[in-house]
Amino acid sequence: MAEQMVKFMVNGRSYEIPIEPHMTLVEVLRDKLDITGTKLSCGAGECGACTVLIDGKLALSCLTLAMTAREKNILTIEGLAEGGNLHPIQKAFIEHGAIQCGFCTPGMILATKALLDENPNPNREEVKEALAGNLCRCTGYVKIVDAVLAVAEEIRKGGS
Amino acid sequence: MTRPLKPFDYFEPTTIEEAAQILSKYSTKAKVLAGGVDLVARMRRRQIQLQYVVSILSIPGQDYIQSDKTGLRFGALTTIRSIERSPIVKKDYAVLHEAASQIASVQVKAMGTAVGNLCVATPASDIASALYALGASLRIIGPASERTIPIEEFFVGVNKTVLKPDEIVTEVILPSPAPQTGGAFFKLVRTVADIAKVNAAVNLTVTDNTCRQARIALGSVAPTVIRATQAEEALKGSTLEPKVVEKAAQLAVQEAKPIADLRSTVEYRRGMVRVLVRRAVEKALTRARA
Repeated sequence: MAEQMVKFMVNGRSYEIPIEPHMTLVEVLRDKLDITGTKLSCGAGECGACTVLIDGKLALSCLTLAMTAREKNILTIEGLAEGGNLHPIQKAFIEHGAIQCGFCTPGMILATKALLDENPNPNREEVKEALAGNLCRCTGYVKIVDAVLAVAEEIRKGGS
Repeated sequence: MTRPLKPFDYFEPTTIEEAAQILSKYSTKAKVLAGGVDLVARMRRRQIQLQYVVSILSIPGQDYIQSDKTGLRFGALTTIRSIERSPIVKKDYAVLHEAASQIASVQVKAMGTAVGNLCVATPASDIASALYALGASLRIIGPASERTIPIEEFFVGVNKTVLKPDEIVTEVILPSPAPQTGGAFFKLVRTVADIAKVNAAVNLTVTDNTCRQARIALGSVAPTVIRATQAEEALKGSTLEPKVVEKAAQLAVQEAKPIADLRSTVEYRRGMVRVLVRRAVEKALTRARA
């Protein structure tokens, strides 16, 4: 099928580009738009590295046909920082040593954002459940869960 | 890593009828796309090759959970996550809530639809087991006809349903629970992201300390999800004392026809049917009495 001109809204910016219908969202982000914070790993919905938010909802961009995401608000890791200021979730991951190689981090952080948007006061078990779809092969998850619990508390206390 | 998708023609109808007409034209060369967690993954693995993909995601009015006196309904685009988070499902259809809660990852549940899960027709479907226990019906629409069938008539084998290539499941309908009804869902699984070794869903109605209605469904122990009807009969009319519950659990073992695969042996699955049915009946009973 021929290429079609399609409009994408990524991190508040609009892009109009030609794509073919068999392209997945992660391919459009990385290969067409050069927005490479979103990672592609398993390509089967198992690892969560390609997690993005589409209209605020969690989505695996490796299993999302790009056509189905057009005209919707796509949030990737690049869209979290405001100006030069990192998002509180990003800061917490750094402060708690919740990053080693960093490959899973964009997906982890977006899954964390989806969790905290839905439930600002999660307990440890709820954090673990919310991140169960994001695999990290470096750490033991403890520091990641610590970071999420800490930033949840910070946000509840009104820290930006 | 799986491979990039091969090219296909893409359709995005805006009504069910239009979707059915496109499916009718291309038949087995086309498939419906909803959440995509199964379809796109299988296409990337080259387990399925399609010339046409028919997305139903732009058809309005398909993502809902509605309840009234007659029961509960949800649509073709209702995600497993929406079902899990629905207060009414949690309160009145606990079996379904528990099944949805125990599935896969948040991402998969936020994308994947319950109807899509049914249409994949895996014998390990937790959603299907829960819906068997709740006595669900499926509304199916084709280009020129419509039918509503009990979920037990939907599955015919591993990955096989009665759905014709041009038909679409548009709604799942659950009858409202009788007073003093309780349900429970249990499964055994290696990790949350894997499919069940065995699952059991039970729904009981208990009045005057007597079991009036019992539905027991088992997953991953036959080519489709099955009802353990002999076990149900053993419970009905009884006062559900431990001896009767144990007898029903043993009957369920005889009704299961499991295979051995990388997840479990036949013997283990049979043993676990007994344990899960007993636990699910006990929990359902506690809830029915509450």
